[in-house]
Amino acid sequence: MSEVLRIENLSAGYDALGVLHNIDFTVQAGERIGIIGLNGHGKSTLLRAIAGLTGWQSGSIKLNGVEIGGVRSQGPGRFTHQIVRRGLALMPQGDALFHGLTVADHLDSGAYTRRAWRERMRRRERMLEVFPPLAKLLSVPVGRLSGGERRMVSLARGLMADASLLLIDEPSLGLAPKISKGLIEALMRIDLGSGAMVIAEQNLSRLEGAMTRLVTLHAGKLKGGAAANMGLLGGHH
Amino acid sequence: MHIDFYYLAVTTVTLASIYGLLAVGISIIWSSLGMINMAHGFTFAVSGYGAWLVAQNISTNGVVVLAGGVLTGMLSGAVIGGLAFVPLYDKPNFAVRSLIATLAIALFGSQCLLWAFGPRVKALPPIFPTGGFKFGTASVSYDRLGAIVCSIVLLLAMLAWMKRSRRGLEIRAMMQNPEGAALVGVGLRSTAIAVMMVTGGLAGLAAVLLSRTYFVSPFAGAIPLVKGIIVALAGGLGSLAGALIAAALLGLVEALTAVGLGGRFVLITQFLVIIIILLIRPRGIAGMLERTRE
Repeated sequence: MSEVLRIENLSAGYDALGVLHNIDFTVQAGERIGIIGLNGHGKSTLLRAIAGLTGWQSGSIKLNGVEIGGVRSQGPGRFTHQIVRRGLALMPQGDALFHGLTVADHLDSGAYTRRAWRERMRRRERMLEVFPPLAKLLSVPVGRLSGGERRMVSLARGLMADASLLLIDEPSLGLAPKISKGLIEALMRIDLGSGAMVIAEQNLSRLEGAMTRLVTLHAGKLKGGAAANMGLLGGHH
Repeated sequence: MHIDFYYLAVTTVTLASIYGLLAVGISIIWSSLGMINMAHGFTFAVSGYGAWLVAQNISTNGVVVLAGGVLTGMLSGAVIGGLAFVPLYDKPNFAVRSLIATLAIALFGSQCLLWAFGPRVKALPPIFPTGGFKFGTASVSYDRLGAIVCSIVLLLAMLAWMKRSRRGLEIRAMMQNPEGAALVGVGLRSTAIAVMMVTGGLAGLAAVLLSRTYFVSPFAGAIPLVKGIIVALAGGLGSLAGALIAAALLGLVEALTAVGLGGRFVLITQFLVIIIILLIRPRGIAGMLERTRE
């Protein structure tokens, strides 16, 4: 198996605040990893650190063998687009959508690689198969959609290019249980190819059984790494 | 009091199209880059000199002079973007820092123009053929018609480019959410420079088209900057439709004031109208229609 992501001794935070402390974390191709942790324990910060969106960070982050760590940014991310072009897709909390743009615009904007842009109509069709409710909404501005529909747009936008590492921050946040269940099932159906997927969630039960591995993030430190089917983590809750 | 409606209409459309060029530029820069470009007026002034140099040294052909102004505006925009946006945009308090940086560029640049070209105003050669025609009871010079047609065509071309092209999609994405744009691989720096070049080009066009009103001089950009900013504010910063509506409205106010009260009252009535608009709709005419930055 090849390594998609290798994080060594990562600490990161914002201004004087340290959120993550000496994290080591590797992701192999084909894995679906769940990061479980309570609010404020650093799940989002870990995902944002990989995308170069934390105020400061130290340590090493390698994406497909290329060093992308050590980035500082207090604004919208000085190197984020370069990291993204190396194969990262982050679907952040709050979705980071463009409210005045239509669903079709979002899908197009996600197709940023040359190849994806050329194939964007075909890829759009594929996304509509994964998220059928979007088919009727293509020309609707995203600001008018419901929370569940917005989450679908955010996920579909992130899936339009050929990202090798998909980072998804709380896909079920703020959604009705039925809708979030459907979304997670859709995510599980996605063919990862030689890539990998990391999902951060507060609620263990949403991910249990579906992932290849679960880790917990507590007070900025990672624990675990057990195979999810061992039920090890489930016993604690 | 007798008001000539044809004359009023022609004046309104002329002013609206030229204010539109400036206000749309300021509005796009604000919403995509998050900075108030105080150096937009400097771009206006320096473009006049670019066009003047072209007229002196290369050709006095209208199209060439116009192109010289637009190209100088694009270059000036790129330089302002490179100095004020690129080094600062991921630093805290970017909005304030960039405001100061662009103000500094405007002051420094205007002094350089004064030092290089002297305080005397320059006149550009006529861009359009002299003469004119009758529109109802008003006589319209080709100069005016040319200014209207040029600005409307370029504005429409730019809006179509924003709507259809890939770069336009990236700019619209950045206008709505810079972090989201970075997350789909949009290079914020290169996109910002593209925005600065396009809006600088529009300011350059306005400078040449307005050279009969605001002669080329080191501080020629001051009034157009003020008017561009108030039109953009009244329209709702970040909304292109709002900026165009506000440009038409303020053009009408200016024309009505000039006809009814006299030219010296123009700034008073314009500011009154804007204060009233902002009292009723604090986010501008279109501030409620479109979600804009902050």
